[in-house]
Amino acid sequence: MRPSGRVSADGAFRPGGTSRGGPRWLGVASLGGLVLLWQLASLAGLLKPFYFPPPSRLAIAFWELAREGFPEGIRIWTHMAVTLGRIAQGYLLALGVAIPLGILIGWVPVLDKLTLPLITFARSVATLSLLPLVIVWFGAGELSKVLLIAYGCFWVMLTNVIASVKYIDPLLVRAARTLETGGLAIFGRVVLPAALPRMFAGARVALGVGFMVIVGAEMIGTIQGLGALIMEARTYYRSDISVVGMVVIGLFGFAISVGLERLERVLLPWSRGLESVRR
Amino acid sequence: MRLGDAALGAAGTLGVLLVWEAAARSGAVNPTLFPPPSTAIPEALRRIGPDELWQHVSASLLRIVWGFCLGAGPGILVGVASGWYRTLGALVRPLVELVRPIPPLAWIPMAIIWFGLGEPSKVFVIFLAAFFPVFTNTYKGMVGIDALLLRAAQTMGLSGPRLLLTVAIPAALPDIATGLRVGWGLSFGILVAAELIAAEQGMGFLIMHARLLGDVSVIIFGILLIGATNLATDACLAGVIRRWLGRWHAT
Repeated sequence: MRPSGRVSADGAFRPGGTSRGGPRWLGVASLGGLVLLWQLASLAGLLKPFYFPPPSRLAIAFWELAREGFPEGIRIWTHMAVTLGRIAQGYLLALGVAIPLGILIGWVPVLDKLTLPLITFARSVATLSLLPLVIVWFGAGELSKVLLIAYGCFWVMLTNVIASVKYIDPLLVRAARTLETGGLAIFGRVVLPAALPRMFAGARVALGVGFMVIVGAEMIGTIQGLGALIMEARTYYRSDISVVGMVVIGLFGFAISVGLERLERVLLPWSRGLESVRR
Repeated sequence: MRLGDAALGAAGTLGVLLVWEAAARSGAVNPTLFPPPSTAIPEALRRIGPDELWQHVSASLLRIVWGFCLGAGPGILVGVASGWYRTLGALVRPLVELVRPIPPLAWIPMAIIWFGLGEPSKVFVIFLAAFFPVFTNTYKGMVGIDALLLRAAQTMGLSGPRLLLTVAIPAALPDIATGLRVGWGLSFGILVAAELIAAEQGMGFLIMHARLLGDVSVIIFGILLIGATNLATDACLAGVIRRWLGRWHAT
């Protein structure tokens, strides 16, 4: 392989950010090739189907999940709906509290200083470590799962909302004041639009956290949901069903994060060039 | 000025602790379900002696360090290689992008099938949590290097591996550092769930076991312990990174 890097031999440069990576067909080919190899290795007996269920077996397992369901009668659509429902509830709950609270904390410096150590600590508390506590408090039912997701999403969203308001260019606010804009108008027409891109980025990361947490939350006290499906299948030695569950949840996560990225570009066209702030 | 900030922060934290304490003492919340910190921590320490505590902490840290090193090392290597060799990047990235959205915890059943119920399956799940953020950030750093920088280095006669080692990788270091810290945080995030796999030691085991005994003091203490360990080790990592980055990025 020739070390091409960004500076190719003919002196042509890849302009930063535009054409990332190489030609697209290579990626498709590598994926297709891998799936094919996987299937062939399985047919040749090199990969044991229990350890690495081949694509053909996964397709059959998906068909079974769609028609009959697993465990008995719970079809894949139910698992999907239950998981997405839990994520949506926890996520919306987190956003609903984090956005107003974050704006308030970001706008009032004293509040920011008062809460900084608490927020830093609460963020480092691993969401899933709350699992035993919420079970003791609220039982192993729906509420516990929704609250866990909400907790994980909340702190990520809160820190991003605070930062989005706190780090607005003060010049923007001063300019608006010079133009004798009233307090509320400054907020609605200057602060909010300037803060929205970062908030949106936070919302995207928070949703990713929700998808992480749900699998752990569904490990206990339920047989519905994709996380439960993945774990349940193992106890019946159905690795093919586990893998189907993994693929489905991965696809959902992927589709939603791409969808949000597109949505952001449509809703907030002024947010381009923020990539560097977004870490 | 900064001292004042710290004082305000301490005041805020103290305020919350006091409210919690007062709520439990006044009976507004049930103190057996929601013990105040002043009773929960001594109670927990009484039940788990310092030796046992250290066993749990070290067992967890060992798992995390193993998983993290196994994930971060290849993450950096593969990230640098796919950012530098374009063809390799085009081959590897779609695979990674496809596997990345699968939450690390969803791998637990396969981890058990592949590695059994022992340490390797737990380390594998943590490895997954560390690998992807490190890879993604490293790749992003490599692709985002200022072309002018590389061109200048080329003009001065650098090329091939020397260009990569002396210019490109140092330029990508801040992104690599970000990836490392995100990966470390994620490793902690999934520790508890990883330790649900037939563990007999570890901080995650400690709190899940306390749930079976209905011992809320130990649960609360364990949660705070995991958070504090995460915070402390992350601060260490940040310190090391700052010193290491300082050689190239003087800010």
